[in-house]
Amino acid sequence: MSDLRNSEADFSRALARLEEHTPFAEILAQAERGEGVRLDRRSLTASQTPRLKGAVLRAWGGERWIEGATSSLEGPSIVHAADAVLQQLSKSTVKSPPPGEASTLRREWTERPARPVSEVGVEEMIALARDVLAWEASVPGVTEGVVSLNWNDEERFYLNTAGARAYQLLCRVGGFVTPIAVENGRVEFDYVSLGSLGGWDRFGVLTEASVTEVAREARQLLDARPPPTGAMSVLLDPGTAGTFAHESFGHGTEADQFLRDRSYLRPILGQEVSPEMLSIVDDGTHPDGWGTIRFDDEGRATQRTMLIDHGRFVGALHDRGTAAALHARPTGNARRSDFLSRLFVRMTNTYVEPGDRTFEELVEEAKNGVVLEHTTSGIEDPLGGQMQIKVKKGRRIENGQLTDPVTSMALSGKVLDVLRQMRGASRRADFQMTPGFCGKGHTDILPVGSGGVYLLSTAVVGPG
Amino acid sequence: MTPPGSDARTAFDVADRLHLLEPWEVFGERARRYEIHLVGRSTELVRGPLELEGYGIRVFRPRDEGLGIGFQSSTEVSEDGIRTAAADAENLAPRSQFPAKKIDLPGSPAGNGGTVEMCDPKLWDRPMEAVQEFAEALLAPLDGRADVVPSFGSVRATLLETTLANSAGLRASFRHTLIELEFAVRAVGGPEGRPPGEYWINETSRRLAPERALPLIEEMERHARAVREAVPSPTGELPVVLPAPVLSTILPQVIGRRCSGIARLRQMAPEPGTAWGSDLLTLRDEGRWPWGIGSAPVDDEGTPHRRRTILERGKVSELLYDLPHAGAFDTRSTGNGLRGRGTIYLDWRRFLHPPTIASTTLFVEPGSGGSDAELVEAAGDGVWVQQFGSAVPDPLSGAFGGEIRIGYRIRHGKIAEPIRGGTVGGLVVAPPGQRSLIANVAAVGNSPQLCEAIVTPALLIRPLTVAGAS
Repeated sequence: MSDLRNSEADFSRALARLEEHTPFAEILAQAERGEGVRLDRRSLTASQTPRLKGAVLRAWGGERWIEGATSSLEGPSIVHAADAVLQQLSKSTVKSPPPGEASTLRREWTERPARPVSEVGVEEMIALARDVLAWEASVPGVTEGVVSLNWNDEERFYLNTAGARAYQLLCRVGGFVTPIAVENGRVEFDYVSLGSLGGWDRFGVLTEASVTEVAREARQLLDARPPPTGAMSVLLDPGTAGTFAHESFGHGTEADQFLRDRSYLRPILGQEVSPEMLSIVDDGTHPDGWGTIRFDDEGRATQRTMLIDHGRFVGALHDRGTAAALHARPTGNARRSDFLSRLFVRMTNTYVEPGDRTFEELVEEAKNGVVLEHTTSGIEDPLGGQMQIKVKKGRRIENGQLTDPVTSMALSGKVLDVLRQMRGASRRADFQMTPGFCGKGHTDILPVGSGGVYLLSTAVVGPG
Repeated sequence: MTPPGSDARTAFDVADRLHLLEPWEVFGERARRYEIHLVGRSTELVRGPLELEGYGIRVFRPRDEGLGIGFQSSTEVSEDGIRTAAADAENLAPRSQFPAKKIDLPGSPAGNGGTVEMCDPKLWDRPMEAVQEFAEALLAPLDGRADVVPSFGSVRATLLETTLANSAGLRASFRHTLIELEFAVRAVGGPEGRPPGEYWINETSRRLAPERALPLIEEMERHARAVREAVPSPTGELPVVLPAPVLSTILPQVIGRRCSGIARLRQMAPEPGTAWGSDLLTLRDEGRWPWGIGSAPVDDEGTPHRRRTILERGKVSELLYDLPHAGAFDTRSTGNGLRGRGTIYLDWRRFLHPPTIASTTLFVEPGSGGSDAELVEAAGDGVWVQQFGSAVPDPLSGAFGGEIRIGYRIRHGKIAEPIRGGTVGGLVVAPPGQRSLIANVAAVGNSPQLCEAIVTPALLIRPLTVAGAS
């Protein structure tokens, strides 16, 4: 793999050029390499990550940020990009808030997993995909299936004129397995997903037992009824609880929303928002996180940030600008989806801390309602305080007992109401971290982790 | 086919330097992107030009009973970069397998292919100025207002020069523009402590239209105020009216996939001639529709676009194909091989993606349901959904549904109080005899509107499941 550090001298020259005219400048370079396989019963596709690399150059002009990007890392191109950024300095009349304290981080993270998938090779990925597809196919009624496996090695190299030089190599492994049942024109599916930093061993969750179980669930959905509708007890599975954390107290605590006066949460910072059993965290250092990064795109080391601590709303996520404006400290949450995209305050891995109940106790306490399983998407409403979560399937709870499976659902609720009606979180043994992709609004997609345990509350549910 | 002044040669230059066995294709794109980001009335950040040039190479090799298809994309336009990308594609082909016995690459179409309106000339000539003028046009109606204020937003404009070349002699190029608009207005003030109401739009289009700013802001203002007044949604099986902006987030994503060669290959497609929709519903694929974000003279494999009927009075008429799926069924591509089209997101860096099947511009034929007011009258007692959190349709199962961010109760055939929260959902498509959005269309309006990749009037669906707190 080409190492971005080989271009350090060129980056330094570009930074020196920018420093002649601006008080501060930074460069973030990015390169990726990876492979993937996608197998279904009719076709096989092997792919490689696009050969796309480049750098974004950003400078503080005294009153405003200016930035430009280049997809060429040849020396003259980088200096040319620096000159293009400087040209904007004279044209722009934008006034930005003060930039805050610059990172001076000097560190390299180059760890590779014990058995990188890049060294295992695409043929073994294809062989594993064929095994998984065969396991799916062994379940009667499962007539189709898709198996996607991939690895991606991403480098990010950050340099600034305050002296920071930080390099990280992130080896990610991902997979998505979808058994599909088709009958008389009706189609249903279920899924198993994986995604985290790591190597070949991460594919170990794809066992014959786990795949055939989810395949049976897919078949069962053909006979499932639509979900009940209306306000009721909702028991979120660990992945759905993670999506709840992400959509409820993740987006609303991104402090750029505070500065936009667009977070209904800002006025209640420091207040109790839920029963004491609930804690929510954003943690860019989590070992199992799909959103784990060593440092953010302003060169700040990532950290664990408490958002809700035993029911009290205690923290927000910051970049250096929001931290300066709100008299806080940066939390390592400044992220760009790639070198062509702008920087925003973003989550990393957001999750619900374990509680002290068992799943069975929570089902009994729910009495009547529904378990929401296998989240598929969510969307926030930072100002209005609503949220939407969609799941692939669920199970009814009647008289404190699990009963019939139900098809896909959408959950809707006011976040603060759902929080206040929290009645329990299950134990650490249930904790799971799930991979996902997050947009800021509808754009700027990047990898994040979401996690948690079973979580019981009340919300509105309907088909979705 | 090339509009005057276009000098893009990305795919041609790559093709000229390729030393590959036939068949192969190259999709090239040169993009310049300009962005303005707003907070309140202030400009937060201006970016651009962000320049990107890249290409995707696809090769087709015999493998067992079918084809091995290899694809690689790259921004490296040097001799070495092209050679490496081509080698990647060549190496991937024997590791892939697709059940098509042949691939019929299109040659250059006769004539210039005609003009498709998809390039905003003002934006092309003065990109940053045009973006700034549009941002100012959005803010102007809110100048001096204390009761409704701009919340935040961004205008991101991309100028694209697309080039296609293949081993059958195709050489095609065209310019187009894409605009991603995100904008929110907030209704504030009034009685002490009353929470603000925000209306937030995200839409993609092909042109900046400053003249549209005033009516757009007026409409957004109305909905932002309604958010403050909204009551919980009802619960029940109710008539629901879905306007074009909502349908644009549901129909293309499911119809484009389920009525396609992809679904047919997996035995999930409806049989032509079967009635999956209401007999009030006719759906066409209109790849040359002016200003549709999926419109162009040719698709992303070079096949010329022409009108296709997907659903004729509720009966399935024709499925959509790209080149490989056409090869699998010994038929011809319908010009629906498109790049960068996800279920929710459109990636402006299209060359990074191999083509997949999608509808281009989906056209819903206007019906006899009349104006929006007449559809509401026909609904009687129901719900108008103005905006979902996100409908996020699932192309496989056909399920859709989302939280009502803002809607209106329909009572006695009139728009009544605003509603918010709760969900509306169901299946977009289902086999004949089963309930679905397209089967339960009870009236089709007569005023079609272009929204992203669909041209449609509002539809009255009777019923859909509404799950509310009340």
